[in-house]
Amino acid sequence: MPNAMTSRERVLAALRNEPTDRTPVCNPTSVATVELMDLVDAPFPQANREPELMARLAATGYTELGFDSIMPVFTIIQESSALGCKIQWEQKDNWPTVKMREPIWEDVNDIVIPNDFLTHPDTQCVLEAIKILKREYGDEVAIIGKTMGPWSLGYHCFGVEPFLLLSLDDPGKTKLALDRMKEATVQFGVAQIEAGADALTLPDHATGDLVSGEYYERYLRDLHIEFVDRIPIPLILHICGRTVDRMEYIAQTGMAAFHYDSKNEPKESMDIVKKRIALVGNINNPETLFSKEPEDVKTEVVKNLDAGVPLIGPECAIPLQTTIENLQAIPEAVQGWHSEKMRTD
Amino acid sequence: MRRVVDIGRRIELVPMDPHFNDISIGLYRQNTNHGHNTPVFLVHTYSRISGAAERIEAVVEAMQVLGGLLKNGDGLLHFPCTSLHEAACRRVFLEACKLAPDTPAEPRPLNILDKKSKLTITVDSTGEGIYRVTAEGEGRGPARRISAIAGGLAKLGEMETVETDNRDTVAFACGASHDALVGLLLTRAPNVRIVLREEEMGAGRGVLSAPSQQT
Repeated sequence: MPNAMTSRERVLAALRNEPTDRTPVCNPTSVATVELMDLVDAPFPQANREPELMARLAATGYTELGFDSIMPVFTIIQESSALGCKIQWEQKDNWPTVKMREPIWEDVNDIVIPNDFLTHPDTQCVLEAIKILKREYGDEVAIIGKTMGPWSLGYHCFGVEPFLLLSLDDPGKTKLALDRMKEATVQFGVAQIEAGADALTLPDHATGDLVSGEYYERYLRDLHIEFVDRIPIPLILHICGRTVDRMEYIAQTGMAAFHYDSKNEPKESMDIVKKRIALVGNINNPETLFSKEPEDVKTEVVKNLDAGVPLIGPECAIPLQTTIENLQAIPEAVQGWHSEKMRTD
Repeated sequence: MRRVVDIGRRIELVPMDPHFNDISIGLYRQNTNHGHNTPVFLVHTYSRISGAAERIEAVVEAMQVLGGLLKNGDGLLHFPCTSLHEAACRRVFLEACKLAPDTPAEPRPLNILDKKSKLTITVDSTGEGIYRVTAEGEGRGPARRISAIAGGLAKLGEMETVETDNRDTVAFACGASHDALVGLLLTRAPNVRIVLREEEMGAGRGVLSAPSQQT
């Protein structure tokens, strides 16, 4: 099947809800694996802290896997590190995490975005990596950055339980906390645009297991609308878990896309969002990509394509031991589906 | 240009080799051996650092000794019987990767001291791929340990349980003897649950959970 668009054009058109020559394969979150780390000699944790390694590892999503996007921000802790959280950086085969049992803030008045937030090594690393990728791949492939939303930052900086309790006990203070933390989201997002990002993933972990749709509407919908105004680039909201109870609200935000979990059926999700927001994701990580065969991956891809999902990709950051052949099965399935469609049309 | 090529289905991975620069080493299954539709196994790393190829060769050699696998002209491994024995091959691979480079691989004997019961456990080949587990010594619960260890062998090597009164006999479906392989599996069979639990935990590393699920 001839490609009439570059990968970059394809992804950005889909995020604008415009026609594409084929459905783009897009990873709003990490597709790094330990084998890809070896291939380009860019292992964790260094690839989360050194821009050259971060860029080199991220590029394999395009050069080796055949995705239409490159997403260098593998972790969810870069800004939390810059805010002062203690980080467990782990080894090559595991994700760094924030030590949430040692929160840095207890009260809303503790919230301070440090002056060096954007020059801290762990935010600077992302900005430099985006600049490298923009220089090397910027004409051909979509460079996607990531800036964490205030709900996720709240978990990291206050601890999950204290933050959730605050949201139950004192909605006013919670809104004030989110309002203060959102400045980190905006600052880091805008800095990534200036570095060359074409789109940004905005994870805000109001996840289906802990937070209701009503909570999303109460605390986050308006904030997310504000992000669309203040971060002038296509935004891809990421929330894990079953989220159909808040997709209506999410579709009202004006975000370009919603990165959705495999706990949501593609068709039911498309029926809710209609064409107000693009969907991307849904290919199951822990079972399908991690432990099943390429044929199983392709089945899930086709299910999304049949439902009209406009961008195809894994549901979240993939497990680091995922096989390369399962990841390559995603673009292969997309190509195959379009070839078959052309043949039968 | 892509550097990743089709090398088959990965069936096992050591994500960080403790004996060589934390490289990942994968075991891949291919379905064709020199034009014949018999399975072969490839040990591979994507690492291109100096010494990685030698490390892979050391693992391949250890797998031949520990599991009785043969190497074909392309450096791919297979069992002499030409059957798959995938679970068993994965076990051989994992054990070969654990072996320090300065420790020569040696075939494991067909008997061990079972620490749990203090019994000496022996596995005898009775031909046609059939193996019988026996116990000697003054230890505790020999009948129970024999059937447990036979069950462990069956699980680790995907062997069939042969119906006997003592539940002491297992067999390879291929009908061929695999003494080296059985010797290797015997070292893990007494603790099969722990082995499988450890593997499960190891495989779970590197799966990112949402912040709400982290501690």
